[in-house]
Amino acid sequence: MKLKHKLKRMKSGLDEKPAQQRRALSSEVTDFSSIGFYPFYLDGEVSYRRKREYPLSDRLVHRIQSVCSEWQKLSYCSHPLRFHDQPENLLFFDTETTGLASGAGTKIFLIGYARLKKDSMEVTQHLLTGPEHEQAFLAGFLDDFAESDTIVSYNGKSFDWPQVKSRHAFLRERLPLLPETGHIDLLHAARRFWKDRLPSCRLSIIEEHILQKKRTDDTPGNLAPLLYFEYLENGDPLRLAGVVDHHDHDVRVLAELYVHIAEKVLFPERAADAKELSASARWWDYLRHPEQAVPFWDRIPAVHLPQEELLPKVKHLQRMRQYESASKLIRSYPAPSAKHYEELAKIEERRLKNRHAALEAVQKGLKLNPDPAVAAKLIKRKQRLERSALSG
Amino acid sequence: MMFRKNLQDLLEELKLDPQVEYWHTMEETEAQYSPFPEQLPRHLIDGLHRRGVTSLYSHQRTAFDAAEKQENVVAVTPTASGKTLCYNLPVLQRFYQNPAARALYIFPTKALAQDQMTELNELADELENGLKCYTYDGDTPAGLRQKVRKAGHVVITNPDMLHAAVLPHHTKWISLFENLETIVIDELHTYRGVFGSHVGNVIRRLKRICAYYGSSPTFICTSATIANPVELAEELIGSPFRLVQNNGAPRGKKHIIFYNPPIVHEQFHIRKSSTKVVNDLASEFLKNQVQTIVFARSRVRVEIILSRLQHLIKDDLLKQSIRGYRGGYLPSQRREIERGLRSGETIGVVSTNALELGVDIGQLQVCIMTGYPGSIASSWQQAGRAGRRQGESVVIMVAGASPLDQYVFQNPDYFFEHTPETARINKNNLIILSDHIKCAAYELPFKEGDGFDDLSPEDTAELLDYLTEMRVLHHRTDTWHWMSDAFPAHEISLRSAAQENVVIIDRTKRGSPNVIGEMDTFSAMTLLHDEAVYLHEGVQHQVELLDWDEKKAYVREVEVDYFTDANLAVKLTVLDIDDSRDAGVCSLQYGDVMVTAMATIFKKIKLDTYENIGSGPIHLPELELHTNGFMLEFDPDFFDDLNDEETEQLLIGFCHALSHVASVHVMCDKRDIHAVPEVKAVHSGRPVVYLYDSYPGGIGLAQKIFEQAEHVLMKTADYVDHCPCSHGCPACTGTQGMDDWNVKRRLLQIMRNLMEGLA
Repeated sequence: MKLKHKLKRMKSGLDEKPAQQRRALSSEVTDFSSIGFYPFYLDGEVSYRRKREYPLSDRLVHRIQSVCSEWQKLSYCSHPLRFHDQPENLLFFDTETTGLASGAGTKIFLIGYARLKKDSMEVTQHLLTGPEHEQAFLAGFLDDFAESDTIVSYNGKSFDWPQVKSRHAFLRERLPLLPETGHIDLLHAARRFWKDRLPSCRLSIIEEHILQKKRTDDTPGNLAPLLYFEYLENGDPLRLAGVVDHHDHDVRVLAELYVHIAEKVLFPERAADAKELSASARWWDYLRHPEQAVPFWDRIPAVHLPQEELLPKVKHLQRMRQYESASKLIRSYPAPSAKHYEELAKIEERRLKNRHAALEAVQKGLKLNPDPAVAAKLIKRKQRLERSALSG
Repeated sequence: MMFRKNLQDLLEELKLDPQVEYWHTMEETEAQYSPFPEQLPRHLIDGLHRRGVTSLYSHQRTAFDAAEKQENVVAVTPTASGKTLCYNLPVLQRFYQNPAARALYIFPTKALAQDQMTELNELADELENGLKCYTYDGDTPAGLRQKVRKAGHVVITNPDMLHAAVLPHHTKWISLFENLETIVIDELHTYRGVFGSHVGNVIRRLKRICAYYGSSPTFICTSATIANPVELAEELIGSPFRLVQNNGAPRGKKHIIFYNPPIVHEQFHIRKSSTKVVNDLASEFLKNQVQTIVFARSRVRVEIILSRLQHLIKDDLLKQSIRGYRGGYLPSQRREIERGLRSGETIGVVSTNALELGVDIGQLQVCIMTGYPGSIASSWQQAGRAGRRQGESVVIMVAGASPLDQYVFQNPDYFFEHTPETARINKNNLIILSDHIKCAAYELPFKEGDGFDDLSPEDTAELLDYLTEMRVLHHRTDTWHWMSDAFPAHEISLRSAAQENVVIIDRTKRGSPNVIGEMDTFSAMTLLHDEAVYLHEGVQHQVELLDWDEKKAYVREVEVDYFTDANLAVKLTVLDIDDSRDAGVCSLQYGDVMVTAMATIFKKIKLDTYENIGSGPIHLPELELHTNGFMLEFDPDFFDDLNDEETEQLLIGFCHALSHVASVHVMCDKRDIHAVPEVKAVHSGRPVVYLYDSYPGGIGLAQKIFEQAEHVLMKTADYVDHCPCSHGCPACTGTQGMDDWNVKRRLLQIMRNLMEGLA
């Protein structure tokens, strides 16, 4: 006991506090039905699962169907949100972990997903009842999802799924292989649409401000690790009730969010404003499908085109090889910036072969006293244009 | 037109200099070769031939043969002896036999890793055998990391990265750990003291992960000359080692010159400042375009010497080719300086011991040390910077006023014949150990009956129980599971007691603040306090504000003719006495102590005359240190015939001499041990001299001094006795003796009393 005694003295004053006495606990005899979990058996090991079914409104069912059938039509396009299978194959997936850092010591204690049925949504959750049951826990989860499923997550590509892989790696000899499923991560999509207007793109913020739903009585996600540790110490599953409900809620919100965002990407008329239109349009342009972007750009009247969207639209027109329109768009814009004039000069010189117009654009740009980097580029172009004017 | 002198002319001049106290010439040595091993593939031998390696040096062959027998090898190799082949050859051979074989190279710093990767990749390209070598450190781009993890046959990293990025994420490194055959640890001698104690635990964790994935790699270590390479390797790695030290590399002629600055004040026995002497010597070499490296003991000294040198040399071009090099410079800056040295564009460099390590800077002709570097091993490392395989080179050591320097100059034999220092680590320092047990438990749960490599299952279980009580672990059935949302490796730094660094921000340019460096919190207390003059690349900056809570120091360029020097007030409390011995008039004790340190005031000191021209207070919180100490507790009436002031002077003198001599005899770095006297100690009311490890939990130094007390006291007495002064001087007793008060004689008397008591 000497080591322990010394350590305690050395660390006195540090903010680590000893644990209270815990009561002995054995998950085998604990009743998890109080929070809706029931045992099921897999190769003789017990695993705990909760399944709940929630009704879906006709309206949402309809929206899901139209999104899926629209993707079917666009099967030649690659888009991160694309999904061209049956709606039942979408798996709205999330985990709760014992820490936010990814690493070998962080465990998943709650894993689950929502799956669409004909007119309902089924939420399946698996609970790690104690760290020694991890194998049964993961096996239970792996048992009921398949290669043909597509995961839809929120930040799952960089957090949840690598975490699943890490836990799986520990037990890889005793577990089936991890299926290589498709994965749609909605965080990236949400950032494209709403990064500028929201304080953060956390799921709860998106839910409140974009889906217009405010949660009541929610257990904040960041408390999850502490609540789980409390449960481990005192063995009372009720400590987890809030986390389980929070997780259940999250995966259902994902379903709604997926439909909401997919609609923005697929149907121009679903956009709430010009910013959402241009976000969809830019995304299509970025994916080298400018033809898909056309109806989105077209819905933004030129006079309402925000300053920061002028250049993307000009680039779009160039991708569509509509150089005249691109040139016209800049010329007719109320107050183009030096950068815009630089782009105009490029179009005139390279595409429309109009050196005179290009020179004019350069001069207009220079009159605006641009910052040194832009000015340097304009001056270089000016000199070249003037030289070739002399020689040509 | 100035006549340019060459190295020979300059040496002739030096021979006439009366301040040269000792001149030692090491003749050149011939190479000893061994043939390539027969089992080495023809392909590999051809490749080496094309690179100009036509035969192996004897030590390279011995290392290869031992590694082939699956022994753990520690090769002791001086600078430029071709140590890289000692490990690259076995690794290449193993890769030939098993293309799935992986190797992990651990270098103490990132810079060394870069050099090594280039070298190994060039060799691998030559051989066209598909071996892929990558560095994995903070600079590795995120996009490349996955590739390194999956496909790197040789992964080069550093202990910090291993600790915080590889081991905690081992599930991403499965293919490395499953196939790991060789672990190379370069610059083994740097893993000593606190840093080594940490790294020893990182290795425990590494071995644990390897065992989990079913591999049991062998280790190949290389080390500079130290007294106990095998002991250090075995302690650090926790496995038996085979020593290879038949160095077969040739060496050019080398002159080692001890230069003692002239005495400028006979009565007080004060010598001219070593910094000034170094400036004069170095500028003489530099003016003649002889590539020279100057070592200084502290960051501040580096900057002072650099600015003086740049001032002394009138030629503008030459001025720009003299650079500083020390911790606190940004990595890109350092790389640029290293390149300049290799290409010869940089003629001179002033450096702290940061350049002791194997950073490749090519061959320099002259090395000048400002004072004894504090250890024999370190001295030889620095001396190795001058002259490599061929050609003549010169090493000049300029003595400072410190007792240690004068002691070494009094006893050149000590330097040339004494075994170099012993490198010690204490893996079981409780604080370090418990931190790493935490990390290990995070990485893999402990099962009952598990030890932690060479730590017994009982001790391991006790620490795991402690962590369970602290709610970091959860014990159920037969396993301790991690139960915290923290990421423990991020809270533990391998390099320093202080977890956080202070960032130095230059706001000379309005509106565009610029981060120019960083510093650990303990140093920052005395170097970056408000109003401190901080030198960076020879440019003076004044600290405008030290934001202690945010760990930021805001500085602005200034031009002043002084530098600042801060005082640190230290208080000690004895918590527990583990062991004691009776020495008659005094009791020798060893145990746990609490040290509280507080920066109190700073002095402004004029650059050219070193006179004190002002001072100011420092307002910073106290830092606490819980460590091990060695105490000499005197009988209360032992100093009865003296007043408090005289007693204090005696105790100060005792501390001064004892701490210097003790540091030479038990360890490597002066800064790792501190001495403090108290005329009336708080806990006993008696006069006490303390020596303590300057690291939380201690690293075993005070304990060693306690065990070897007779020897250390005898050496201390010898040293004071042999000092040429009559009444005590700054070199031996640290204070000025006076005619009517002979500190020296009195001190010697006390020491003799002590030794009689112990005998």
